[in-house]
Amino acid sequence: MLEFGQFKANTCSGVGRRGFLKTAASIPVALGAGIPTLAEAEEARRRAKAKSVLLLWLWGGPSHIDMVDPKPDAPMEYRGPFGTIPTKTTGMRFTELLPRLASRSDKFSVIRSMRTSNGGHPGAGTVGLTGYEENAGPVQPNFGSIIAKHRGQHDALPPFFYVGQGIPRDLPRRIEGYGGGTLGKAYDPFLVSCSEQGQVGIPTLKMLPGMTPDRITDRKHLLTQLDQTQKQLETARIHDWKRSYQAAYGLLTKPGARQAFDLTQESESTRDAYGQTTFGQSCLLARRLVEAEVPYVQVNWSEYVETFTPNGDFGWDTHIYNFELLQDRHCPIFDRAFSALLDDLGDRGLMDDTLVIAMGEFGRTPRISNRAAREHWQHCYFSIWAGAGVQPGRCIGQSDAKAEHPVTRPITPLMAGTTISELCGIGARERAEMKVLDGGSLIHELL
Amino acid sequence: MTLLILRSILVFTLLSTATLTTSLLASEPVRLTDDGSLKRDPRFVNEGKELVYCYDEAPDLIRMMRIRLDEPTPKPMFDNSGDKHQLEPFFSPDGRYIVFTECTGNLSARLVIREQQSKKDAYITHSGRGGTRSPCFSPTSDLVVYAFAETGPQHLWSVKPDGTDKKQINETQGISNWPTFTPDGKRLVYSNSRENNYEIYSMNVDGSDEKRLTNNNLMDIRPTVSPNGSRIAFTSTRDGNYDIYVMNIDGSATQRITTSEERDDYPTWHPDGKRLVYVGERAGKFDLYMVEVP
Repeated sequence: MLEFGQFKANTCSGVGRRGFLKTAASIPVALGAGIPTLAEAEEARRRAKAKSVLLLWLWGGPSHIDMVDPKPDAPMEYRGPFGTIPTKTTGMRFTELLPRLASRSDKFSVIRSMRTSNGGHPGAGTVGLTGYEENAGPVQPNFGSIIAKHRGQHDALPPFFYVGQGIPRDLPRRIEGYGGGTLGKAYDPFLVSCSEQGQVGIPTLKMLPGMTPDRITDRKHLLTQLDQTQKQLETARIHDWKRSYQAAYGLLTKPGARQAFDLTQESESTRDAYGQTTFGQSCLLARRLVEAEVPYVQVNWSEYVETFTPNGDFGWDTHIYNFELLQDRHCPIFDRAFSALLDDLGDRGLMDDTLVIAMGEFGRTPRISNRAAREHWQHCYFSIWAGAGVQPGRCIGQSDAKAEHPVTRPITPLMAGTTISELCGIGARERAEMKVLDGGSLIHELL
Repeated sequence: MTLLILRSILVFTLLSTATLTTSLLASEPVRLTDDGSLKRDPRFVNEGKELVYCYDEAPDLIRMMRIRLDEPTPKPMFDNSGDKHQLEPFFSPDGRYIVFTECTGNLSARLVIREQQSKKDAYITHSGRGGTRSPCFSPTSDLVVYAFAETGPQHLWSVKPDGTDKKQINETQGISNWPTFTPDGKRLVYSNSRENNYEIYSMNVDGSDEKRLTNNNLMDIRPTVSPNGSRIAFTSTRDGNYDIYVMNIDGSATQRITTSEERDDYPTWHPDGKRLVYVGERAGKFDLYMVEVP
């Protein structure tokens, strides 16, 4: 037997177990051999349950202590103004801001011991979505890009979608780790937007003046437009542009693909359940994409992290008005949309095949700031997991009495990405062949 | 005899339960808007003939709007707001001023006290990053009270309409927010979080003689005193959902006004003191509703 790892791995029910990885077979990676064993390959195949991954990217850093990891016994300078409510998971309470999710905690598991290495938004965003820092070297691929390469194109739909207003960014710049990275731009996400009324936009098409999905009825005319515009681009960009256009063209001209974007096909009650908000309707669009068997969909809460700034779309970066915005806006929207998504996926029999994750790039300072708000905190934050091989109803990991640091085995974004890949059938062998997620390990407690 | 005793016990139990928190048989709420976009902060103006409120005009913009009750086509409150979020409006009782919170830049906000006729503005800011919150006018229109945190706890502050004489009112720990005056101008009613969750308190305008008015494990927020000073409407999650409640000015006789499974929040009194307007969430859409309060 090999054992490694020294942290406790607890669940909130109080049953603690040592967080060692035990295996009857040798771990060639640990020994430096680099070749996964047959046992690992078998295990990977057994775990491969996710046909699709749906990541809700809570961009800006949601406050863990004000949401799923409250500390009512902490000093007043830490605990915040919100009361706590029970969930369906023994020993786990949420703040009163998430009543719908609290009543559904038997459908998902919460990790309270996330930890990342970067305290700035673009950097932490890249770590959160790739598992690695933005270094001087090549940027590592987004988890979605890894899945996209492994699965390939499905019919007319790109294998990796972003649903949102744009590439996640803060005011100075966007994150580096949004797309294909070392795998190439072919595996960048395809961006679509969705309004609170459920109107879907495809920004790629804005490159063609006057070209909207509604106006594309003449295939020949479209081809002519594409040719004309293509000639105007630099050679170095044509290849990438062409790929995006091909994807957009496929979306528009194949009825099956277009259907995925038509939210009017949903019942009024389903659309209402998600709520008339950009995030709510975006989650509904994501569900439709999953139903259309898109392998990876990332729903971005916002384009900008900034929570209260001109032209900013209210990210989770609550350096001011933390408590007011969480209770007035962010948590009610999130509570409703995520609950509706879990219900909807369950009602349609999609939960077994769909891995659903909600997380941001870090948490927020448990100690309340001078401005009665919270700043960045990369040392401890949360993620929520459901579906496709995840054992629901668990609280994985614990933070200390002030929610400042994990007291159990820290769970990192690299581990999250490795677990996502594993559940999608990309085992250690395949990851090694793709040269991705090197050094990553599984979040066994989820499985 | 035994049956009579049992009946008496039953009636007594029912009455006792009813006095804790009762649901008023209010009239059916009337919906005033129908766009369904996220809304907040409704306020009556023009003797109750118009409402001003704030809503998500776009994913990146909160706009202040105005509607007439007899012709509810919303119009922007200001013609030249640009891309600044504007929220939490409050009108001085004499009609001379409006005060509101305005976003001035990344993570920065200020109070704007605007003289409505001249359009002259006084700006209330504090040093460093942060945002002023929840302004209200005194009944005599000579004082604005708002919330701000300078050193960690959020306190209540006062300032004159011309922006001078800024003063901290209370020293309470925790987060103080949503101040509102009693009609006689002598006391403030507000929420504070020092007891592990938001409770409602009242105190003299100078911060003395604080009294606690609510006592439960979940939030009681956004108190607003009725025009005759006898009652307070507020939002509470005590029954598992955001709903509107009314209690006597001393905190007694709490009664539940809304019972929807979805969120009801931001209560504001009509000047006649018989009706409330609030933001109601129905089927995931947010609109203004008006309800009579028995």
